[in-house]
Amino acid sequence: MMRELKFMFRDKAVWVWLSLAFVFSIAAVSLGINEVSQQCAEIAELQQLDQIERKAALSGQSEWGGAAYYTFHLTYDPPSDFAFAAMGQRDVSPWKHRIRMLALEGQIYETDANNPDFALIGRFDFAFIASLIAPLLVILLLFDLRSGEQVAGRLRLIEASAGDAKKLWRTRAGLRIGALAIVLCLPVIIGGVISGAGIMTLLFCILAVCLYLGFWTMLTLWLTPATRTGAYNLTIMLGIWLLLCAVLPATLTQAISRAVSLPDGGEIVLTQREAVNDAWDIPKEETYAAFLKRHPEWVDYTGWDTADGFEWKWYYAFQHVGDQTAEPLSKAYREGQARRDELAKWSSLISPATLMQRTMERLAGTDMRAAITYEQSVRDFHANLRAWHYPKMFKADDFNSDWAIGAVPTFDPSTETGAESDLSN
Amino acid sequence: MSSAFRIAVEEWRQWLRSRLAVLSLIVLSVLLLFTTTLTMLDAQDARHERLHQQEQAEETFLNQPDRHPHRMVHYGHYVFRAPPPLAMFDPGVDAVTGQSLFLEGHRQNSAMFADARAEARTGGFGALTPAKLYYLFLPLLIIALGHGVILREREARTLGPLLSQGVTGGRLYRGKLLALGALIGLLSLPALFSSFAASLAGESLLAGLTLYAGTLLYLGIWAALTLFVSLAARSRGLALGVLSAFWVITVLVVPRIGVTSASATLPTEGKILTDMRMNDDLRKLGDGHNAADPAFAILKANLLAQYDVDSVDELPVNFRGMVASKSETDLTETLNAYAEKRMERESAQAAHLSAYGWLSPYLAIGGASRNLAGTDLETHHRFLREAEATRFDFVQGLNKAHIEKLSYEDDMNRNNGEEGWKKARVDASNWSVLNDFRFTPDTAANRLNRATPKLLALILWFMALIGLGLAAARRLTP
Repeated sequence: MMRELKFMFRDKAVWVWLSLAFVFSIAAVSLGINEVSQQCAEIAELQQLDQIERKAALSGQSEWGGAAYYTFHLTYDPPSDFAFAAMGQRDVSPWKHRIRMLALEGQIYETDANNPDFALIGRFDFAFIASLIAPLLVILLLFDLRSGEQVAGRLRLIEASAGDAKKLWRTRAGLRIGALAIVLCLPVIIGGVISGAGIMTLLFCILAVCLYLGFWTMLTLWLTPATRTGAYNLTIMLGIWLLLCAVLPATLTQAISRAVSLPDGGEIVLTQREAVNDAWDIPKEETYAAFLKRHPEWVDYTGWDTADGFEWKWYYAFQHVGDQTAEPLSKAYREGQARRDELAKWSSLISPATLMQRTMERLAGTDMRAAITYEQSVRDFHANLRAWHYPKMFKADDFNSDWAIGAVPTFDPSTETGAESDLSN
Repeated sequence: MSSAFRIAVEEWRQWLRSRLAVLSLIVLSVLLLFTTTLTMLDAQDARHERLHQQEQAEETFLNQPDRHPHRMVHYGHYVFRAPPPLAMFDPGVDAVTGQSLFLEGHRQNSAMFADARAEARTGGFGALTPAKLYYLFLPLLIIALGHGVILREREARTLGPLLSQGVTGGRLYRGKLLALGALIGLLSLPALFSSFAASLAGESLLAGLTLYAGTLLYLGIWAALTLFVSLAARSRGLALGVLSAFWVITVLVVPRIGVTSASATLPTEGKILTDMRMNDDLRKLGDGHNAADPAFAILKANLLAQYDVDSVDELPVNFRGMVASKSETDLTETLNAYAEKRMERESAQAAHLSAYGWLSPYLAIGGASRNLAGTDLETHHRFLREAEATRFDFVQGLNKAHIEKLSYEDDMNRNNGEEGWKKARVDASNWSVLNDFRFTPDTAANRLNRATPKLLALILWFMALIGLGLAAARRLTP
C-alpha cells in the first residue's frame, strides 16, 4: 500500500491533475463564499432602504388606500449556509421582490437579471467542478493506468508479481481517486465550516462526491482495458463523458420541455392586465360579485357613493379580481414548472451528471423547489397584506401615518415558509 | 499529386481504417445535423410567434374603446424581440434575457419570462446549439483524431523512413494540416448550411459567411495546436494529457473565471436596489397624477403667465395633461440616466470578459459569434433602448391627447358620478399614436465591427500556433 502510494506520487501527471483539482476547488469555494456574502450584503442594504422608503411613502399619505398604493414591501430569500457550493436556480429565478397590494400577477414575474453574458457562460461553483470537471479528472487519472504499463512492457511483470492483479489495479485506482476526493472536498469542508453549514449537509456532500467519483472510476476501469492503447481509451472515455455530461442532460431538458408545455408566460400578465383595465368600464356590481366569491366577509361593505366614481376599496377589489382571472393560467404555469422539476428528478436516475448537480442544489437549497417555495411565500405574504388592509379600507378606518409606519406587515423569510401564516392584527 | 496531398490522403485512410475514429465522426455528425435542424426549427417558430404576438399586441391597443387617455398610459403595450435569422446557429443571450417587454407609463420594466427560468434543471451545459457543439465539443474530436498524426508515425517507426525519403518536416506538416483541414471542412458543412439558410431568411450573406469563417478559424486553431503538440510531444499519453488540460482550462475554466472576475471587479447592483436609490430622485420630481404637487408650481406659474390667465381652469389646455406630460419627461430622464448607467456597466463587464479572449480562443469565438449573429449583449441593449423610445413616444402621444382633446373641466369631474365618468374620455382614434415596433438586427457592417477584435485574437492565435508548428516541423527528427 505504502509502496503504491510512493509509485503514485512519482507520476508527474498525477501531480498535475491533483493540483489542478485542488486549485479549482479552492477557487470555486472562495468565489462561492464571496458571492453569498455579496448577496447577504445586498439584502441587508435593501432592508435598510426599505425602511427609509416606507417612512417616506407613508408619511405623505392621508388614507389607507393611497398608503397601500405607494408602499412597496421587500421580500427576499436569503442564501443558505451551503449556497456557496451551488448557486443553482438563484442565478435564473428571482430571490428578491418588491411588491405592493396591486394585482400580484403583474409583479411576481419581474426578474432582477444579471448580465446575460454571464448567465450564458455559467458560474464557476463547486457543483460545476463536482458534476462536470471531476469526471474528466477521474478519466485523465485512470485512462492510462493499465495501458501505460502495457506500453512500457511492465504489465505482465506487475500482474504476475502482485498475485491478485484485479486487486492491484483497484488499489492503484482507489489511491488516485481517493486523493482526488480529498483535494476536491477539503476546500468545501473548510468553506462549510466558515459559513456554518450543517455537519449533515457536509457529510452528504462528501458522500455524494465519493459515490459519483466511484461511479466514474468503475466506468473508466471497465472501459479502459490494457489491451487497448491509452489514446484509444481516452477517446472512448471523452466520448462517454460528452454523452453523459452534455448530450444526455440537454436531451432530457428538451424532452421534458416538450412533454410538459407551459402556458405562455406573457399570456398570464396579459390576462391580468385586461381584467384590471376592463374593470374601470364594467359596472361595479360585477367586480364586487367576483370579489365576494373569494371574500364573502365583506358583503355588507361593498356599497358605494354614486357621486364619487372612485373608491379605493373598489380599486383593490378589482386588482384582486385581476389576479383571480389570471389564476388558472398562473396555476398551470407553476404546476408545469413543478411537474418539469418532478420529471427532472426521476430522469436523474438515468443521468449521473444530473443527479450530482441536483443533489448539490438540493443540499444548497438552490433548486427549483426552493425557488417555487419562495414564490409561494411571496404569494402568501401578498395575501396577508391584503387581509391586513381590507378591514381598514372596507370599514374606512382613519389613517395615522405614525402608527402605520410601525404596523404595516413586514416580510420575514423565517416565518414565510410558503405556508399560510397568521399576520392578522 | 503533391506529396502534402498524398500525406493527407494517407492520414484519412488511417482514420477510416479505425472503427473508433469512424464511429466518433458519425456520432458527432449526426449530433451536428440534429442540433442544426432542431435549433433552426425552434428559431423559426420563435420568430413567427413573436412577430405574430407583436401584431396582435398592436391590434389590441388600437382596438381599445374611447377612454380617458391616461388610462391608456397605464393600459400599456407589449413589444417583442424576434430572434435574428442567425439565431438558428447561435441563439446567444435570447434564452436568458426574455424576449417580451411590457411598456407602460412612469416605469421601465425588465424583460420577463426568460426560457431558462422554467426549464427543468438537469445539469450539464444547458441546451445544445450548433454554436455550442462547434465551440465546446468539436475540439475534443480534433484532439482525439489529431493528436496522433505525427506521433503515430513516430511510434510505428515510419517517421524515419519518411524523412529520409526526402519528405521534409515542413511538407509533412502541410500534409497533416491538410488532413485535419479536410476534417474540419467536412464537419463544418452544417454551419455553412446555417449561414445560407439564414441568408435566405433575410440575413446578410456577409455576416453569415464571416461567422462561418470564424468557426473555421477557431477549429483551425485546435487543429494547429493539436498538430504542434503531436510534433513536440514524445508520447501519445503526454500529448493527450497536455491537449486535454488545455481544453479543460481554456474552454471550461477560463471563461467562467473571467465571468466571476468581471462581476467581482465591476459589480452591478440588482435592479431592485437601483430602483430604490432612484426612488429618492424620483420623489423630488413630484407625482404626475397629482397636479397639486408642489413640484409643479413653477410649471403652473409659467403657464398662467404664458396664457395670461389667473387660474388653471381658464387655460386653453388641460393643465392635468400638461403635468402628466412634464412629469413623464422628467421621470424618463431620470429612468434613462439609471438605465444607461446600468447598461454601460454591463458593457464594461463584457469588455472585461472579452479581454480574457486573448487567453481563451473559446471566449473569443463565443463573443464574436454572438456579435455576428446579432444575439449579443449590445443587441439586447439596443432592444431595451428602442423599446424605451417606443414607450416614451406613445405615452407622450397620449399625454398630448390629454392636453389637447380633453377639457380640464371634464377631466376634473371624471369621478363625479356616471355622467362625469363617461364625459372624461377621448376618441379611440387617438390610440394611433402607437408606432409599429419591429426589432431588426444591426447592419452586418456594424456587427462585423464589434466582432473584429475577437476575430483578430483568433487570427493571432492561429498564426502563432502555425508558426510554432512550422518551426517544430523544420526541426523534426525521427
